[in-house]
Amino acid sequence: MKHLKLFAAVPVLFLLSFLLLAGCAADPEAAKDPGNGEPEETGTLVFTANGEAFVREGFLSKDGWSLTFDHAYITVSGVTAYQTEPPYDTEQGWDIDYQVKVELPGVYTVDLANPDADPAILKEEAAAPAGRYHALSWEMAQASEGPAKGYMLYLVGKAEKGSEVIQFVLRLEKEVAYIGGEYIGDERKGILAAGDSAEMEMTFHFDHLFGDGAADENDSLNREALGFDPLAALAVDGLVDVSLAELQDDLSAADYQLLVSILTHLAHVGEGHCLAKFLE
Amino acid sequence: MRNRLTIQEYSGWAGVAIAICLLHLLPAQAAAHGAALSYETVRGIEITALYDSGEPMTGAQVAVFAPDDPVEPWLTGTCDDSGKFFFTPDPDRPGLWEIQARLAGHGDLLRIEVTADSGISGGTTGFTALQKLVMAMAVIWGLTGTALFFSRRKN
Repeated sequence: MKHLKLFAAVPVLFLLSFLLLAGCAADPEAAKDPGNGEPEETGTLVFTANGEAFVREGFLSKDGWSLTFDHAYITVSGVTAYQTEPPYDTEQGWDIDYQVKVELPGVYTVDLANPDADPAILKEEAAAPAGRYHALSWEMAQASEGPAKGYMLYLVGKAEKGSEVIQFVLRLEKEVAYIGGEYIGDERKGILAAGDSAEMEMTFHFDHLFGDGAADENDSLNREALGFDPLAALAVDGLVDVSLAELQDDLSAADYQLLVSILTHLAHVGEGHCLAKFLE
Repeated sequence: MRNRLTIQEYSGWAGVAIAICLLHLLPAQAAAHGAALSYETVRGIEITALYDSGEPMTGAQVAVFAPDDPVEPWLTGTCDDSGKFFFTPDPDRPGLWEIQARLAGHGDLLRIEVTADSGISGGTTGFTALQKLVMAMAVIWGLTGTALFFSRRKN
């Protein structure tokens, strides 16, 4: 009986210890204040978006269309960078346990086809806590003003194949939220030293939408891309100007579903994939 | 029938042996196509880079970052035909090593804890310290219960 009481007391003891430790756990906001009266070490966090050379210089689609872009407007909101320990990994899902969070208030529309958008700068946050930012989240949201008003992605360009030329305007309104881990690329990003600056880049891979004629046709990228042929088939007098809602009626069910699914892997952090979910 | 060699014969055979050794050494110095292979057993890390489809990322660019320098790669290389890459981390630089593999717009980052005694504890679990503590408590509780159960039977 004495042993049973002891056995029952153990979990109670553990529970009390757990609550005590949880109470002592670091407050995320506390990381912003060293607590020693000294000013916090900060740097400049530069939030950027990049459509890569695909939209700045044009590229060959998987089905042989030479694509060039006059505009590639994307609109983002809720942009947030996180310092996490342990480092965030998308396998953890949407719940992110952060120590430091830097939010970029507002909605930003940038034209990724602009030759100077290498990358396009959304905003520089001058007073960001120094440290290593392991995660980035944002939403592709409908623009409330400007040329892309009502759409989260607005592509204007020209497609050429042989003697055929098609002007296209592709307007996509379905909003998507993304979260990604650290930037993966030929350089490290998101490592902010005090008094220095670091980039947090949202990267958009338009070859996932149209495929890449430079890659093998059996490459998984091309197998999972829509290409341009389904849009070319909708052209009237050399012009296709459609929204996603209109494409739901005009495309085959399979092509429409493919296009919608592509929106969930259009955005990356460098070459690192993101989690994505549609906003309703 | 003799089964022993004289001192003179020993000397003669030794001279022949040295001459043979020298003959083997001379071409090695003269020929440009000489090669020498050796090996040592090492403990290391082999990563495998695959696409989501399960296909190997053949030729993927790999960059290995030591814990104390997350900016400059400690080592770079490429995956083999099976998408594999092997390296031995510096045991004098314990902590979280990072391995990045990229190919044709696809990439991923792996983190592996390397301890000071060059023990490799495996990739990060994603569990927080608090979660690990609760799991440890659960294990201790289970062990305590088991011990009490058996001690009760003895009594």
